Amino acid sequence: MENNHGKNKRIFMTILVHLFLIILVLIIVLPMCWLFLNSLKTNQEMFRDSIALPAVPRFENWINAWNKGLYNYFLSSLITSAMSIAGILLLSSLLAYGLTRLNLPGSGIFFIIVLGGMALSEQVALVPLFKMIQALGLYNTRLAVVLPYIAFRIPFTMFLLRSYFLGIPKELEEAAILDGATTLQIFYRIVLPISRPVLASAAIVNLNFVWNEFLFANIFLEDRKLMTIPLGLMTFQGDLKSDYVTMLAGILIASMPMVIMYLCMQKQFVRGLTSGAVKG
Amino acid sequence: MKKKVKWSNYLYIIPGLFMVLAFVYVPIITNVVYSFFRLSSYSSSMKFVALDNYRRLFTSDTFPVMIRNNIYYCVISLIVQVGFGTVIALVLESKLVGRMNAFYRSVYFIPSLISLTAVGLMFNFIYNPTAGMLNGFLKAIGQPGLQQIWLGDRKLAIFCIIAMSQWQYTGYIAMLMIVAFQNVSMDYIEAAIIDGAGPIRRAISIYIPLAKEQLLVCSIITVIGAFKLFTEVYTTTSGGPGDASQVLGLFLYQNAFLHDDMGMAAATGVLIFVITVTLSIIQLRITRSGQD
Amino acid sequence: MKKMIKRLLAIGVATVMMASLAACGSSSGGSADSGKTEEAAEPAEQAEQAEQTEQAAGDVKTIKFFHRFPDDPANSFIEEKIAEYEAAHPDIDIVVTSAQNQPFKEKIKTVVGTPEEPDIYYSWAGEFSERFIRENLILDLTPYLEADPAWKDSLIQSQMVNYTTDDGMVYGIPFRLDGKVFAYNRDIFEELNLEVPKTWDEFIKVLDAIKADGRYTPLAEGNQDQWPGAHYIGTLNQMLVPDDVRAKDFNPSTGEFTDPGYVQALDLYQQLVPYMNIGVNGMTHDMARQLFTTGQAAMCYIELVEITNLYQETEGTEFNWGMFVFPTVEGAGNPNILTGEPEGFVVSANTKYPDECVEFLKWFLGPEVGAQQAEVVGWFNASKGVADNLTDEGLKEAYDLIMNAEQMGPWFDASLYSTVCEEYLRQISDITNGDVTSADAMAKIQKTAKEAQDLVK
Repeated sequence: MENNHGKNKRIFMTILVHLFLIILVLIIVLPMCWLFLNSLKTNQEMFRDSIALPAVPRFENWINAWNKGLYNYFLSSLITSAMSIAGILLLSSLLAYGLTRLNLPGSGIFFIIVLGGMALSEQVALVPLFKMIQALGLYNTRLAVVLPYIAFRIPFTMFLLRSYFLGIPKELEEAAILDGATTLQIFYRIVLPISRPVLASAAIVNLNFVWNEFLFANIFLEDRKLMTIPLGLMTFQGDLKSDYVTMLAGILIASMPMVIMYLCMQKQFVRGLTSGAVKG
Repeated sequence: MKKKVKWSNYLYIIPGLFMVLAFVYVPIITNVVYSFFRLSSYSSSMKFVALDNYRRLFTSDTFPVMIRNNIYYCVISLIVQVGFGTVIALVLESKLVGRMNAFYRSVYFIPSLISLTAVGLMFNFIYNPTAGMLNGFLKAIGQPGLQQIWLGDRKLAIFCIIAMSQWQYTGYIAMLMIVAFQNVSMDYIEAAIIDGAGPIRRAISIYIPLAKEQLLVCSIITVIGAFKLFTEVYTTTSGGPGDASQVLGLFLYQNAFLHDDMGMAAATGVLIFVITVTLSIIQLRITRSGQD
Repeated sequence: MKKMIKRLLAIGVATVMMASLAACGSSSGGSADSGKTEEAAEPAEQAEQAEQTEQAAGDVKTIKFFHRFPDDPANSFIEEKIAEYEAAHPDIDIVVTSAQNQPFKEKIKTVVGTPEEPDIYYSWAGEFSERFIRENLILDLTPYLEADPAWKDSLIQSQMVNYTTDDGMVYGIPFRLDGKVFAYNRDIFEELNLEVPKTWDEFIKVLDAIKADGRYTPLAEGNQDQWPGAHYIGTLNQMLVPDDVRAKDFNPSTGEFTDPGYVQALDLYQQLVPYMNIGVNGMTHDMARQLFTTGQAAMCYIELVEITNLYQETEGTEFNWGMFVFPTVEGAGNPNILTGEPEGFVVSANTKYPDECVEFLKWFLGPEVGAQQAEVVGWFNASKGVADNLTDEGLKEAYDLIMNAEQMGPWFDASLYSTVCEEYLRQISDITNGDVTSADAMAKIQKTAKEAQDLVK
């Protein structure tokens, strides 16, 4: 009897918990469904009743959004992200290697200096950085965003890699040194291959940052050809002209890549994002 | 191995160190200098005004509004993202959820992958008084009396923006906490079950204390994030209506690039700097004491 | 040891190469928009091509052109015309960039006065441009106009006033003329037996009648971006505050805003708010206009350049609309001003090619392109006769309104000093929500205006 009572209580609790979780799912999913629904309507349909179904689903809105420059913004985001991540990983791994494996005098101070960069926010540097970028003639070039992205992401990435490098057993290196390997050979023949998982995590966290970054891109870029997706989406918002459904379609398409990437590479994503715990 | 220092080995650290110094430290120091001058973006003249920018910042009518809004964002985010996010993580890790665990986790996590501008633009529509989802929904369920102007309402605007952030990031914090809970050794949990501890007791006396460090890290990220708030407001209300949803980050931006007042922007930057660095030092202290 | 240094050097060189490659790619981005957008080649390739053509042609003169009309049909029209000009002038390469209104306001201030400054750019008349003129950043066009009387005569003088400083310096040439009018739904007016109002009292009666009927929103307005409310206030101020007082207050070094007419203007605006749709501050102007074009609202205070949008939004539907100017308010000001300044282009004082820039503007803002622009985009420039061949009744009426106006009133937000503008817009926004009284609002604006006097010293 008592066992049965416990079982009933357990079933009741399970249902309650699932109910709670499903309500949360609805809160998350409903805005997205609304977005999807309205991206298939005409502007007039949306303004008459935004929660009604479209008379005819208009997938051409998506095509229009794509043709309105989204393709170009995607390409630009890809190039910017690739350049930034290559730079971040290259410089951070060299830095982390230099600070952990080579017993350089002053390593401790340099570590603190670089790590301190983690606490400094982008906004605080904004005005001087803007003047600097202009003085260097980088304004409205891809490097105007790539260089600050690299600089602002090195501290965190170095920190992530450093703790991993510290865990690599010294014996591997010692054997290599006996074989006459140089420090650089050790770096790219031993340290980097072993660190592949952490490099992948670092790449993903930084991708999420660079892909979605808005503040710097908004100020340092002017040319549509250079604009990344977050910036490109803003150009969909006209002042006197109103094509909302196309904009909604654009938001939908623009959000897909990261979500799809997450669904395909959940493990790396979670490891990457949780190892650093730094919100974009 | 060898005692002798190879100076060439410094070449490993110089490029990275240089980047951080040149693009992070130098601008931040320059910013402090700028905060004592009056300067605009298109004019090359700089006029030394001592502390006048700070005086104008601290005495402006908008100042208390901004600080209040940043604090609202901070406190609500702590309660919802960290507090409620932890509860979600605990529920998801409990045995009651079973195989659906991964599904829930992913759904909650997905909003954090969407860019802030996309989320901002989307919620601009959701909150729209006539064509938006929220008012449409209230009408559909027969509660038109509850309809609001949302982002256009002086009292509601900042809370609408805060709600949007909770929508986006609660799942992210929940995910961080789940990973921390998964690192809790099964031995403790089994011992507690043998002791007859119920799920709530287990959560309070085992999970939370053992994931304390992660909880603190999450709190600090959230708090610092609250004082860096910018894109969420920029893409929705731009600080309006009036200055009801103004925040420090946007105030800085608008002064620098809209109101030709880069000195004031720099002063605001220094304030954000002081706040965030103080909080980071607290974070460092706490995590260190946690390790000891 | 040596080997290692070599290796590191190699890495260094590779990095530099990567970086410079990247730089090439990005710098080509700047020239990619040069009207030859059809060739969607790889960025790096394009840079090479650009370099080659530059070498081949000897001295191609590159003119940077920055506008704020990125929506079609205006955007395509501009690009088409520029391509045409480039084809006719092989020595000129015009690099076009554009941004929407709000980002444009931010961007333009960050580039003017720097090496990235565009040679020709859009700029609002009045204080928006005068802040640049104070720093000697805008080219004085007066000598060019004097040297070419035919050009000077081809421009409508009443529309040139706004781009002329008090000292008589002409600094800009209009690209589109504009004016603020009430668009109204003729069907609703007929149904409710309403007449177009001429005075404020008549206007309120019309609004009351529509409100009493209950089926339609009398007035559609969206003030989320804060400039639409400023347009109401600007117009009311013109009628309630004497001309010389307004002129004095627009000048940041003498601005006080103490005239009682300013408070009265806010009061009258506040009187209109109850007739507007709900959530005025919660939506943008274009969203509110949808209420008008979908027949849910009876009137909307629009710019004449929006007629194009009205047509687009009501395409395929039976939409019967008309327009009337802002009803007259008795006051100390000038009732004969039509709000709606022409908007045009200025030339940078630092340009390497002032003659070429002026030459281009003569054509681009001249009668020939102007007539096509009126036809294709529905916007008029300031050259005489651009509307002669128009058939569309709405556009013809709009043109006549502008031509018959005694004087064009400035865009209120563009004529205020930056900090005063911010404060004013904020107060209008709060007034719209009913959160402050007109007197309190004006007191805050006066305080900011006082502070501004110190800032410009």
